[in-house]
Amino acid sequence: MNNNPDVIIIGAGVIGVSTAFALSTAGLKVLILDRGSVASGTTSAGEGNILVSDKEPSPELDLALRSRDAWFEINEEIGGGFELEAKGGVVVAQSDAGIDGLRRLTSAQRKSGIDAQDITGNDLHELEPHLSDSITVGAYYPQDAQCQPMIATARIMRAVKAHGGEFISGTTVTSILVHGDRVGGVETNKGRFSAPIVINAAGTGAGQIAELAGSYLPIAPRRGFILVSAPAPQLIFHKVYDADYVANVASSDETLQTSAVVEGTKSGTILIGASRERVGFNTEIDFSILRILARQAIELFPILAEIQLLRAYRGFRPYAPDHLPVIGEDPLIKGLWHNAGHEGAGIGLAPGSAQLLSDAILGKSSFMDATAFSPTRFSRAGAK
Amino acid sequence: MIISHQIIVIGGGPAGLNAAKYAANAGADVGLIDSGLRLGGQYWRHTGNAEVDESMHHNFDQGSLLMDAVNANPRIEVYLESQIWSASVINNMIILRTKDQTFQTQRLIIATGAYDRSLPFPGWDIPGVMTAGAAQALLKGNGVIAGQSVVVAGTGPFLLPVAAGISSHGGNVVGVLEAAKRLSWAPKISVLIQNPSKILEGIGYIKSLRKSKVEMRFGQAVVAAHADEDGLLESVTVANIDKDFHVKSTYLLKCDVAAISWGFTPDTSLAGSLGLKQGVRNDGSVIIEVDKDQRCTHSHSEVEIYAAGESTGVGGSDLALAEGAIAGLATAHSEKSSSQLRKLRHRAQKFADVLLQVYPVAAGWKSWLTPQTLICRCEEVTYQKVREACEELNARSARDVKFMTRCGMGMCQGRICTRNVSDLFDSEDHDRILATYRPIITPITLGELAQEGLL
Amino acid sequence: MISFTFNGVELKGQSGQSVSAALLVNKERINRYARFSGAPRGLFCGIGVCFDCMLIINGQPNLRGCLTEIQPGMIVEVQNDH
Repeated sequence: MNNNPDVIIIGAGVIGVSTAFALSTAGLKVLILDRGSVASGTTSAGEGNILVSDKEPSPELDLALRSRDAWFEINEEIGGGFELEAKGGVVVAQSDAGIDGLRRLTSAQRKSGIDAQDITGNDLHELEPHLSDSITVGAYYPQDAQCQPMIATARIMRAVKAHGGEFISGTTVTSILVHGDRVGGVETNKGRFSAPIVINAAGTGAGQIAELAGSYLPIAPRRGFILVSAPAPQLIFHKVYDADYVANVASSDETLQTSAVVEGTKSGTILIGASRERVGFNTEIDFSILRILARQAIELFPILAEIQLLRAYRGFRPYAPDHLPVIGEDPLIKGLWHNAGHEGAGIGLAPGSAQLLSDAILGKSSFMDATAFSPTRFSRAGAK
Repeated sequence: MIISHQIIVIGGGPAGLNAAKYAANAGADVGLIDSGLRLGGQYWRHTGNAEVDESMHHNFDQGSLLMDAVNANPRIEVYLESQIWSASVINNMIILRTKDQTFQTQRLIIATGAYDRSLPFPGWDIPGVMTAGAAQALLKGNGVIAGQSVVVAGTGPFLLPVAAGISSHGGNVVGVLEAAKRLSWAPKISVLIQNPSKILEGIGYIKSLRKSKVEMRFGQAVVAAHADEDGLLESVTVANIDKDFHVKSTYLLKCDVAAISWGFTPDTSLAGSLGLKQGVRNDGSVIIEVDKDQRCTHSHSEVEIYAAGESTGVGGSDLALAEGAIAGLATAHSEKSSSQLRKLRHRAQKFADVLLQVYPVAAGWKSWLTPQTLICRCEEVTYQKVREACEELNARSARDVKFMTRCGMGMCQGRICTRNVSDLFDSEDHDRILATYRPIITPITLGELAQEGLL
Repeated sequence: MISFTFNGVELKGQSGQSVSAALLVNKERINRYARFSGAPRGLFCGIGVCFDCMLIINGQPNLRGCLTEIQPGMIVEVQNDH
């Protein structure tokens, strides 16, 4: 067992493993711990979105853009095999307000360097032939991409191990060792591990990890359901969603919000989302939500009414009150770094977030200013 | 509209039929739901043509009497061709949904039975390779013999009626290959002779096979199948195997159908959806755990859930009938004593346990696999991919394998491959995969889900 | 006897038989072609569990031949997912 790692990373989801990849590439010895196995939490419940389309111009959009390119670099570097595909996104607007909002969004996004193309009528239906005839206004985002997140994470983990990294599954952190104001390691059900740097990449559990260290991070779960169809001939060619989705993502409402998100995958299944609600870790399936998702999807693509549904599942997005990820050193505990709270965008934002954190730890300048993601933004709210 | 019954029984095989009968006779109002076209389950599967059915079955009288009793009982409403796609507990009510209807009850009996256990081997996806249960269903439910030259293989007493049925209806059974040794049951003779009817039944099949000059071979298994140029089954590789199922020698056998059964896998899918406690039996099968009254363990207050028959552990029709009766009485809160039924259940359970010991499936079947052998038929996931997930990608459970390879994500929802994937992990300290919460138990269309009226 | 068509050819089956059984009687063993390899598949479990016998019946794909009763005039087609 590796007793002298340079860095301990708590969490073997896409964020933890991407961070391990960045740090081990830079030559650090990493030890990854997870209470489950690789990519067994929120990562396994995601659709694998790598999106630039669903973000307003903001630091998060800059992060998304860099991350998107980084995914394709990683794909090259580790030999692919995780269904990465620049499938492109199509956003449609159904109401007058939706159309106005979408046009404003694309115009602003273009100024931030996003390839956002306004399209209508025939052009829209050429991209998505089965789209409902009543939908005539949309936007096309060729940069939007998708991967299979669990395989991606598992394959990056393999590369981390090839860099000398170590992974121990089934390891629950029971306390964080803090000496004065410095972190010294972690205590787990499998014993004590020491390192001068500990990274909290525990997803929906990141708040508890911060608390174990005597610090504060307001990360809460935001539940979502996904419907998965039986394998079907290709009917949907892009990630297609309603413009309301952008508003729902940014909303802080606790009650249920749904908007249609439909996409085909390389394996032939069609994924249908998306719902957002804050109900803690309630694992029950709410059939009324599944029904709404089915209806909304059929409104976009009437042909889907005939498609068989094979599975439905739920996942919990790690959500911070301002919807931004938390990337940086803890304001109270030196050596404790956070990379968490990516909500529903964790797959897409993972490589960029990992690069930002890795650069900060190594004291290097990075591709963007990370102030907006700093954990210090919560310290006042959390002061007891 | 929601259909309500005091008690709902799911499954119209021996356990479910008896459960419905006993519960109704105790005064309860019972709904009996089955996915099939006719009652009877797999065991009493029939064509509906009395003459044909008599000739196909051992013991059909008992079945037709019970089915008639259920059909004639005014307290029992039977719902056929009703496949449940979701089961959940909402507001202290068990809600069951089929394509056309929603049912509710506070007392449920699960009697969903079992299906053939299949082991993967090279070529098991070739048309012509099927389960012994499929051959039996063709014969008993359709009056059709599966092929012109049929190999019946695997292990267990079920091979006998399948082979005898095919040969006595004009099919050419080119071999019955039993993996167990010839006298494997000899050490258990004392339990066997307490069940003389079973011995007589077995002797009847063996006589029938002898009459048709069908050869029974022991310690042999089908370990590979080969297709002709049209992609159809042409021959199988038969191996002499040792007690661990490792291959000692092989020979080729021509056939157009290989009907293979490695015992049965309990259907526990509803247990996953309703959050019932599951257990693992000695043979590695996942079962619904029940107490002495056939009652399940779960966290829902206000509702009672029972299970009977093969879904609580495979044991044959006598055990299923006894369990069904006990569950029926308990669910109806009957005062009637079930001590006689408990004795019957105990004896049948002992017999079932012995059968598992006499006809084991040893781990050596894994040595039959090649890297290209499919583990998951639906998603065409090879053994090589499963191994890669375990050895290189840090998969630590069948669930991890599923997400990394799509093994078990296909149309059958893992019903065929999950048990085998669990076995491929056997050497390590991994949990067996239990039936998990699946909101969608069998596929429905999005249009059906979108309908009004579903809760 | 009931008449139905399989890939456009008229076949006969018995009333009460499943589509899979009626096809077997007519020596038709291939119900579908697998999605990735294109390999032929036919009846396997026979009782609705494995979904290997899926066919296109009256235009609707993914229907299990073993669970569907043959009807007069039914249009049955091999399902090619490849």
